[in-house]
Amino acid sequence: MWKSARSGAALLCAVLLASACGGGEQAGTGAGTQDKVTLSYGVWDATQQAVMQELGAEFTKTHPNVAIDVQLTPWADYWTKMKAAVTGGAAPDVFWMNGPNFQLYASNGVIKPIEEQVDTSVYPKGLVDLYTYEGKLYGLPKDMDTVGVWYNKTLFEAAKVTPPADDWTWADFKEAAAKLTDAKKGVYAIGAELTSFQEYQYNTIYQAGGHVISPDGKKSGYDDPKTIEGLKFWTDLIAAKQSPDLKTMTDTAPLQLFEAGKLAMYWGGSWNVAEFTKNDYTKDKVDVAPLPKGEKQATIIHGVANVVSAKTEHPAEAWEFVKFLGSKPAAGILGKKGPIPAYNGTQSDWVAAHPELKLQVFLDAVAYAVPYPVSKNTAAWQEAELTHLTKAWTGEVPVDKAAADLAAGMNDLLAKE
Amino acid sequence: MSERRPIGVHAVLIASSLAMVAPFAWQIVTSLKTLSSATRVPPSLLPEGRWDNYAKVFDLLPFADQFLNTVVMAAGRVAGQVLFCSMAAYAFARLRFPGRNLLFGVFLSVLMVPPQLFVIPQYQIMSSLGWLNSLQAIIVPGLFSAFGVFLLRQFFLGLPREIEEAARLDGAGPVRIYWSIMMPLARPGLVALGILTLLWAWNDLFWPLVVNTDPEKMTLSAGLAALQGQYQTDYPILMAGSLIASLPVIAVFVFLQRQFIQGIAHTGTKG
Amino acid sequence: MTTTAGTRPTRAAHAASKRRFRAEALWGYAFIAPTGLGLAIFYLWPVVQTTYFSFTEWGAFGGHTWTGLDNYTRLIGDPEVGRALVNTLTYTVLGLVGIPLAIVFAALLNRPGLRGVSAYRTAFFLPVVTMPVAVAMLWRWLYNGDYGLVNQVLSVVGIDGPNWIADPATAMYALVVVGIWSSIGYNLIIFLAGMQAIPKELYEAASMDGAGSVRQFFRITLPMLSPTAFFISIVSVIGSLQLFDLVFVMTGSGQSARANPAYARLQTVVQLFYERAFVTNDRGYAAAIVIALLVLIAALTVLQFRLQRRWVHYV
Repeated sequence: MWKSARSGAALLCAVLLASACGGGEQAGTGAGTQDKVTLSYGVWDATQQAVMQELGAEFTKTHPNVAIDVQLTPWADYWTKMKAAVTGGAAPDVFWMNGPNFQLYASNGVIKPIEEQVDTSVYPKGLVDLYTYEGKLYGLPKDMDTVGVWYNKTLFEAAKVTPPADDWTWADFKEAAAKLTDAKKGVYAIGAELTSFQEYQYNTIYQAGGHVISPDGKKSGYDDPKTIEGLKFWTDLIAAKQSPDLKTMTDTAPLQLFEAGKLAMYWGGSWNVAEFTKNDYTKDKVDVAPLPKGEKQATIIHGVANVVSAKTEHPAEAWEFVKFLGSKPAAGILGKKGPIPAYNGTQSDWVAAHPELKLQVFLDAVAYAVPYPVSKNTAAWQEAELTHLTKAWTGEVPVDKAAADLAAGMNDLLAKE
Repeated sequence: MSERRPIGVHAVLIASSLAMVAPFAWQIVTSLKTLSSATRVPPSLLPEGRWDNYAKVFDLLPFADQFLNTVVMAAGRVAGQVLFCSMAAYAFARLRFPGRNLLFGVFLSVLMVPPQLFVIPQYQIMSSLGWLNSLQAIIVPGLFSAFGVFLLRQFFLGLPREIEEAARLDGAGPVRIYWSIMMPLARPGLVALGILTLLWAWNDLFWPLVVNTDPEKMTLSAGLAALQGQYQTDYPILMAGSLIASLPVIAVFVFLQRQFIQGIAHTGTKG
Repeated sequence: MTTTAGTRPTRAAHAASKRRFRAEALWGYAFIAPTGLGLAIFYLWPVVQTTYFSFTEWGAFGGHTWTGLDNYTRLIGDPEVGRALVNTLTYTVLGLVGIPLAIVFAALLNRPGLRGVSAYRTAFFLPVVTMPVAVAMLWRWLYNGDYGLVNQVLSVVGIDGPNWIADPATAMYALVVVGIWSSIGYNLIIFLAGMQAIPKELYEAASMDGAGSVRQFFRITLPMLSPTAFFISIVSVIGSLQLFDLVFVMTGSGQSARANPAYARLQTVVQLFYERAFVTNDRGYAAAIVIALLVLIAALTVLQFRLQRRWVHYV
């Protein structure tokens, strides 16, 4: 009567035996350079996985005893898994690092500083500074991105607004925004987003002459009146109904509104080129212009860097790999298939991939770019930014007060670092 | 038998079934769309019939490996839990031993712990055992379940004692009573636990993702999650993959839920 | 326990029963040993560890300094913890509605001779295998402030519906509906199993006495199902107090979640724990939060166990 249970128990034993034989393997064998070495390479973007594997194969051609094992973790879980792995002593030998997390890892000694003297003039200075901590460089920039204004040519024509000139200003922008908004058709000029400070708020803050964090990383810039001007740029748009309100933007992401022809402009990073050229609606309607000029011109520059784990068993091979990844040939491979490579002079492939768009705008922006603002625990005050500014966006609290509260909170957090 | 208003019952059931099925139907519809159409607002109701999304799933994932991993892991967990949990549940329900209530309380307390607490400590345990990136890392912690013990204990408590006492008077020991009497009688509970464990194992995404690194060692859910890019996700392909992955579980349920139709009368006498 | 009338146990009988008792006790320990050991190693030890770390300042990658009760005093005074607790308790209380709903559906799906019962049961099972992303997409479409189905239906009767998920006044209620909807499938499986264990003879006898199906439901089904219902209520309350995945999936994660004006009314305690532990690297504090939650859950569970005497009917 209970045969199924007996077979169940047998199945259980078989399963345990099978998995014990399969076994977990440890990567990397001998310490000598002539032995076979496998380096684990942690990445987070599925769309770049193939390119990374290609780069790994290229590296093995010149270093036949080293194989590269690309380990993809989806972006949403990458940092959680990385923390678990580091705590458990099992971090990948080489992995992708971004600006907000960099100082946390560097200050805790989780990644190795670069010992060898490298020529850093081939990368944008903003990025080299971003990955330098206490005077030491920890990673080589892999790619870069800047921000521009993606706009809907059809909507501009319909509203009889000339496309943005390269030197357009905040005043030009506001004038265009007023004309582009068509309440009857449910069309807005732009979405004043809160979910991407890198593409929205940080840019206008610096354009207004303000700052997010002091250069020594100890004081918040949110009580600077010019910073507040940068924030008011957006809240004014919502107040004038030239942008959807925050609740609408929470229900429907501005990206989707843009792709539905409900937004005339979309401030976005250079990485959006893949999305907009594939989307059925935008692919023949979109072009890109530089960000408008406030008191000065500014855009946020950011990029991923390759770093070496401090506990890697193969530091020499890992550094060789990172050097390769930061070299011109690697950048060339990347530029053909992926994001904008960081190495100067290798970006033309990326621009040439879509001649119908003014992608050169993103490269020109490097000249006036500001590095992504970070500190040792960037995530903590980025959370505070949202907690306080959400109230300013809904109009509950005036922008000045929200910014002042934010500055106070942020200063407390910075003091704890 | 009062069958006065079957139409009323059917009406309620049809309406509720539609509500239950809607997201699943949506998943099917979306899996047949193009990406542009899937993210469009307002959403379109008619797909473009992109059956090639299903083919692409097999290109993007080591499907066979991950499917096998998922089956082995799920089977392992189900077998382990049905066996171990029923043993403990029987002991808590019917055997007397010092500290029984206290120990049950301790078991129950595991259920009360938010699962997110376990990630890093369990990862470290796996790391010290050398089990990172392996099958046993995803099977072994899942062999033990406070939920299963609690569920089956309730079932065992609800069974009448007469048969047991008769068997005891006949000289049967705890093992025999457990195996030949209690288990068959608690079959509905065991089936329920089996289905739920299968479900949770099949859908377990976070743990396999964190503890394993090779796509070939991951489960289907974890493999599908890896399809999400940083800025773009091909939702139609993701949904197609998830649908393919859920077919075995649905099949198991359809087969097993017949067990729920055959009731078991257990007043002790047959016929 | 009845003893046979009259006879006093003799010394030999006493010794024999003592041996039996010891044997039974040993079997008891043997039976709980596998699960007990597994739970101790993989589950209890992490709890002990985390409790220890809740009294420390715990570094992002390890390393800690003892701080005593600091984390706990901080959490008592933290308004975010208070709000998260209120949100979580609101969800828990409202979510209890799902239990009677599941019982009713289980009863309907257990009617003898119901045609198409396999199809219906499979339909009720499908939410449980539907991908969370698909579930979120559909519900977000239904709840959308501008073109959502709910608001379109409401506009027919002249009501201008809100942005259900983005409006602080409605967000939690909208979420509760999705939560109840997704729990029915699981609870149904357990209730159906519980109903199989009810002897048919009871129903047959009641029918012969002339009781209708509704009366049978209240007089037979519910009382006999009470051990199962007790189980479900314990597990549901625990699950609701631990709510995390649903909010994560419905409102997005990280920054997009926090930019939601309704976030202060949606954030649950476990979500707060996750943010402190994995986002802002405040791990000691996060440990305190989760241990405090554990204590609360334990207290409520003990309370429910005490109350079971009043309404749970074991055979």
